[in-house]
Amino acid sequence: MLRFIVRRLLITIPTILVVITLTWGLIKLAPGNFYSGERPLSAAVENNIREKYGLDKPWYQQYGKTMWSIIGRLDFGTSLRYEGQSVNSIIRRSLPVSATIGILAYALALVVGITVGSIAALKQNSKWDYASMAVAMLGISVPNFVLGPILVLIFSLTLYWVPPSRWNGFPSRNLILPVLTLSVVYMAYIARLTRAGMLEVLGSDYIRTARAKGLSEKDVVIRHALRGGLMPVISYTGPALAFLLTGTVVVERIFALPGLGNYFIQASLNRDEPLIIGIVAFIAITLLLMNLLVDIAYAFLDPRVRYQ
Amino acid sequence: MSSGKCRQIVGLILLASLACTTLSCSVVSSNELYFGNPVPPKRNILRYVSGDEPASLDPAISDGQPEARLYMALYEGLVEYDAKTLAPRPALAERWHINNDSSEFTFHLRRNGRWSNGDPIDANDFVYSFRRALAKETASHNVSQTLYLKYAQAYNEQQVFVRDPKTGQFLLARDFNESLPPDPLSGTPIDEAKPEYLPDANEPHSDPDTAFHRQMHSPMRLTLPGTEKARTKLLDAAPKLKAAVAGKELVPVKAEDLGVEAVDNYTLRISLHQSGPFFLGLLAHQVFRIVPRKVVEKYGAAWTQPDHIVTCGPFKLKTWIPYDKLVLERDPMYWDAATVKLDELHFYPIIDNHTVMNMYKVGELDAVYNHAVPNPWLHVLKDKKDYMDAVEAAIDYLVMNTTRPPLNDVRVRKAFNLSIDKKAYAAWRQIVKPLTAFTPEGIFAGYPQPKGPAFDPPAARRLLGEAGYPVNQNADGSFSCPTFPVAEVEFIYNTQGANRSVAEWMQAQWKQNLGITVPLRNMEWKTYLEQRSKLQYKGFSRGAWGADYMDPFTFLSLFYIGGRSDTGWLDPKYIAMLDEANRTLDHKKRYELLAKAEAYMLDQQPIIPIDTASVNWLKKPYVKGMYPNAASLFPWKYVYIERDQSKWDFGTPSLAAD
Repeated sequence: MLRFIVRRLLITIPTILVVITLTWGLIKLAPGNFYSGERPLSAAVENNIREKYGLDKPWYQQYGKTMWSIIGRLDFGTSLRYEGQSVNSIIRRSLPVSATIGILAYALALVVGITVGSIAALKQNSKWDYASMAVAMLGISVPNFVLGPILVLIFSLTLYWVPPSRWNGFPSRNLILPVLTLSVVYMAYIARLTRAGMLEVLGSDYIRTARAKGLSEKDVVIRHALRGGLMPVISYTGPALAFLLTGTVVVERIFALPGLGNYFIQASLNRDEPLIIGIVAFIAITLLLMNLLVDIAYAFLDPRVRYQ
Repeated sequence: MSSGKCRQIVGLILLASLACTTLSCSVVSSNELYFGNPVPPKRNILRYVSGDEPASLDPAISDGQPEARLYMALYEGLVEYDAKTLAPRPALAERWHINNDSSEFTFHLRRNGRWSNGDPIDANDFVYSFRRALAKETASHNVSQTLYLKYAQAYNEQQVFVRDPKTGQFLLARDFNESLPPDPLSGTPIDEAKPEYLPDANEPHSDPDTAFHRQMHSPMRLTLPGTEKARTKLLDAAPKLKAAVAGKELVPVKAEDLGVEAVDNYTLRISLHQSGPFFLGLLAHQVFRIVPRKVVEKYGAAWTQPDHIVTCGPFKLKTWIPYDKLVLERDPMYWDAATVKLDELHFYPIIDNHTVMNMYKVGELDAVYNHAVPNPWLHVLKDKKDYMDAVEAAIDYLVMNTTRPPLNDVRVRKAFNLSIDKKAYAAWRQIVKPLTAFTPEGIFAGYPQPKGPAFDPPAARRLLGEAGYPVNQNADGSFSCPTFPVAEVEFIYNTQGANRSVAEWMQAQWKQNLGITVPLRNMEWKTYLEQRSKLQYKGFSRGAWGADYMDPFTFLSLFYIGGRSDTGWLDPKYIAMLDEANRTLDHKKRYELLAKAEAYMLDQQPIIPIDTASVNWLKKPYVKGMYPNAASLFPWKYVYIERDQSKWDFGTPSLAAD
């Protein structure tokens, strides 16, 4: 097990370097630059800016400097758009915002999704099954840039129950709408995955054995069926959680949250090279780590994976 | 999926959409006088959205308008914009006098100016701040605003003077460029017999003369590029200059050569290399606001971080959480702290205008920035009593690439202008005013703004015919222009807001009146800017321009030296006309000359004027002392929260001076 983890971690490092290099190259290829705006700058002013940020150097020097600073000091440099703010500090500051929303949304999605999915599976082909799966389908189909404004319209602008946007720390009522908006689609997916997983497991031999040995239905469902039925949900959790932790562009934008996703989209639009590279590298690391965690969790939940 | 399940889903969707429609109707069609119930905040604070997260809290560096409003709270300069007219009002300068051709300005500073850490402010702070703003290392985006200062450009571009080692004399620019306009008074030797300033009853003693002052009062020196490569290139092209420079020593232009001087601790003198009747108004611009030398030198780029920052405006920084909020509090050290009414000023950086509108409606914002009301909301909001309906010192226009055929032919450019019905356009956009000139309509009092030609499709078709692209009328009454090289033109725009519908509107006009269908191409903002600034686009692009100061020159200078119109049109005759106007002392005569230059430019048609913009923002009725002025720049110290309902605003407050 330990060897497996170490090997996976070692593969991660070159993967990250490739991701950073590709990102760097793509930014260099993109037209435009961070300082252009509606007000045109004169050539001399442009030169001053390029010199200040070392953009006048040949590409291999720029690349070398970027890579050296990242590998040698884990320092992603200073943002070009936000004068004097280091990329590391921006990530440190915005990650908790994205992570709070993401974890809450996923926790909510797990609780509701697994409950609904299990009920639907246990009462297959009942009206409960149909109704919950129909709602789940709707949840998957409605994109969050539609759902978010609708929720705001109902609960903020009409009923005045909750604030329509902005970050206000944890816990706060400001979290309700973004968490709900973000979690609905995951809720729906998890419900469907749970239902499918459970149906498969409920028909398998070991469940029949469990029933045959006289276990109560509660024990059968919770100790045996659910454990097996949740495997698809677990493998879905890795990438989903990585995605949620590192911020979601649309929700953060609609609700004006100072999270990573918001910075990511702004950085790309602003051609803010160090910030883009920093966030991409961070997302890549998170994604790889999450996948590793999922593999480990698999091994714990399913003995067959462990023995292979 | 079973049909029953299917029906259930369809039913659910219908139900949900019905609920949404009912709700949105109830929200939109409400007959409330204001947008959202106006309830003043419990504390004496103003919650405002100024746009995106500020690029920097350093007033010298960033050129954005969201930042400009923030800097007006944090920093002060010699003068400040008037709340209604934006005219320059005394700020850190108590009074000033201007020489007879507006080329030298002397400011007397107030003695009680203080930084937020309690240190006194004196003339040296201004000298330091101006030099720093122009230093190459600062890489300010605002350099173009400061180039009127003597040797500003030479210093910013690290150029060199040329000095004769034997005599110690500098070579003069005029000797090598006869087309240069005559030096202004500030650049001619002081003549005691002819006083440079009009006598002032309040100021019986003239300001002391200094060695630096006399140095400024000499003809403009010749400056050459600082780098060997650029210099050699320039000299190789000018043999006479090359011969004159040979054997001379090159002296770098230093910060000390810049036309700004602390005559004494409370007197500041600014020398320009040209007449600048508009310059006093420009001095309220962010780049001329002062920064604290000690703090900047100690912390470098990190000086604006909350732990270090020292400011000089009516408010000082309390907390700054990027992309969340910026809280400013009243600065007790400020010289006019008694006038400051608000305890705190909150800026929320929000990009999405729909989010801004939501927050305003539920009462989490007291005012929003200009252009914040999205187009689809206008038909409801423009009749509300808290909608700010006022004209903006900003214009929308179309840019044309005059360097590529077929638009390098002025007749073709004119034809495209004549075939746009600007009145119909303005009616369609609801809040803008049609425009035929390049200066905004109804902004500069007394300016005899020239009028461009009105909508005239037959004339447009005639002009196209003369240019070699005859327009034929088809049997059904429509037009076609088969010889026009449609593949050589397109309309590029960035994907944002109403740009797409505007482009489609123009396309329809040209199709209808000329029979030409110009292809449209949308692109991401930075890509679009790149195409436009490098003149890589063919045909048309959109353009927008807002005033930096209240003078027509802020628009006309887009086609002046150092300006960049992205049209490729730069005409020496036009530049000479502007120079002549700016040298003219009589205000009325100057305006007439500027108008003449504008008429000339319009006739050359590098652009197609479209509309004068509207400020288009909202403010709760209890927010007083904040006016929908033409540049949406607010001197925050006068803003307050009125708790007496009978004194609330009802409709757009008047901009007429008190």
